Amino acid sequence: MVETFKDFGFAVKTAIKGMGITLKTFFEKPVTLQYPEERPEVDSRYRGIHFLEQEKCISCKVCALACPVDCIHIESELPEKGLYDWDRFDIDYGLCMFCELCCFPCPTNCIHMGKEFDFSRFSRMDLVRNMLTWEGVSPAQKKEVDGIAAEKAAKKAAAAEAKKKAAQDEPKDTQDEKKDGE
Amino acid sequence: MFEQSIILSAIRDAIDWVLGLVGQDISILPLPVQVVLCGLIAAGGLMGAIAFAVLIYVWMERRIAGRMQARRGPNRVGPYGLLQTVADTFKLLRKEDIIPTGANRILFAFAPMLVLAGVVAAFAAIPISWDADKGEPIMIADIDLGIFLITAIVATEVIGVIMAGWASNNKWSLYGAMREAAQVVSYEIPLGLSLLVPVLIVGDLSLGAATEDQLGGNWLIWRNPFMWAVFFIFYVAGLANCKRAPFDLPEAESELVAGFHTEYSGLRFSFFFMEEYASMTLISAIGAIYFFGAGDLFGLQGSSSLIMFGVLLFKILVSIFVMMWIRWTLPRLRIDQVMTLGYKVLTPIAFFLLLGVTVWDLYDLNDKLWELFSRS
Repeated sequence: MVETFKDFGFAVKTAIKGMGITLKTFFEKPVTLQYPEERPEVDSRYRGIHFLEQEKCISCKVCALACPVDCIHIESELPEKGLYDWDRFDIDYGLCMFCELCCFPCPTNCIHMGKEFDFSRFSRMDLVRNMLTWEGVSPAQKKEVDGIAAEKAAKKAAAAEAKKKAAQDEPKDTQDEKKDGE
Repeated sequence: MFEQSIILSAIRDAIDWVLGLVGQDISILPLPVQVVLCGLIAAGGLMGAIAFAVLIYVWMERRIAGRMQARRGPNRVGPYGLLQTVADTFKLLRKEDIIPTGANRILFAFAPMLVLAGVVAAFAAIPISWDADKGEPIMIADIDLGIFLITAIVATEVIGVIMAGWASNNKWSLYGAMREAAQVVSYEIPLGLSLLVPVLIVGDLSLGAATEDQLGGNWLIWRNPFMWAVFFIFYVAGLANCKRAPFDLPEAESELVAGFHTEYSGLRFSFFFMEEYASMTLISAIGAIYFFGAGDLFGLQGSSSLIMFGVLLFKILVSIFVMMWIRWTLPRLRIDQVMTLGYKVLTPIAFFLLLGVTVWDLYDLNDKLWELFSRS
């Protein structure tokens, strides 16, 4: 009898304690993030979707070589040193395993692991992500590159013209020489 | 018939007014037809009110559960997620109505209605407000045996639950139904005994009389020192009677799938669901009326019956909040603990309190103690 009532008293005591805890939680702010609108603050060393500083990149393709799953694809032309004509810098996130091995060998420290983490798509092809901020030539360097290209073209044209001229000037000689050679 | 009920006579007046539009009078209908018609309209209104309340309760329950677990709860459908239960109701209505093979189809179909009807019918004897002009409680039926009728009619719910469990042709359903029967029948003893105490003090079985008795802040809970303990017994027994956690053994989902309503789906399931919330409201209403002064707010409410209704509603909602609070805090009891609590703890305490209150009132100890204190 006494035991029963002791147990009952203990039950009431513990129940009140527990209810105090839930009531405290009830008036606290919920910890839930309203996900698509609110984003969690990720750690500074978080390995998310890559982030490329294209202006620093020298298109050396060391990252692509370092990649254990070969998910980085780089194509660019080098019209002149320091100026790049970008065609492609793709990372296939269907393959990427976020190992960060591409970031260590980069000589100019231009590829980093970013903080973006939700990259789900409906098809596998959409998982290939274009990392370029601009295609072709950098807008800042466009003039310079155009200048070089124009110069080159002019040089080429001049060379071609010179060749043509030379051919017109001494057509017989060359023919003769050739004939002699034969 | 109509003299006893303000609501029914109001409905009769409304029918009279509608008939007056076509140049007729209520007297063209014979009295039994009038009574049945008004009763049906009142029952429909009651049913609609309960269905609407259940929508709000489910929303409340989920929001409160969320906040108690540091979550938010539903907040996407409508403002503050208020339309979530409406959407869920539409989903429930569209569900296939499954009757298992081997089930007793008649009992299976009849059980949910019986369960819900018992609880809803009990609301007829609940006074929702007080008419100060006429000096009468506003209720559907001011029956002299009010609280007796309520406890009797709510007890029929057990029959419905056993019908549901038996007709489902499923052993878990039958286990749930038997547990429910054992639990509800056991807890009717402390519930009845604790309800006997306010009846004893008021001196009338009608809830309308209890409302009148407590006007002006003279709540039963202040009447003598036993009343808080009596209310505690009433509340625990009431929780067990409406199968709320921590006494939700009949539908213990970790053991019995969903207890007696395992095989039910769609609308029939929602009847059981509504029954749970309706009986919560009923227990809360009886608690508010018999212990906390019904619609009375220390006489501050004036003579407005609408404010009294609002105050009663507020008291009911507070009680329901506490029920939800308990549900999301306390773990479920074991079935033997439930029986032990009912028979070995609550029943003896209830008997003791009944005796104590009787002696207290018999020797008028309130007045004697008051004299003692005022003299010293």
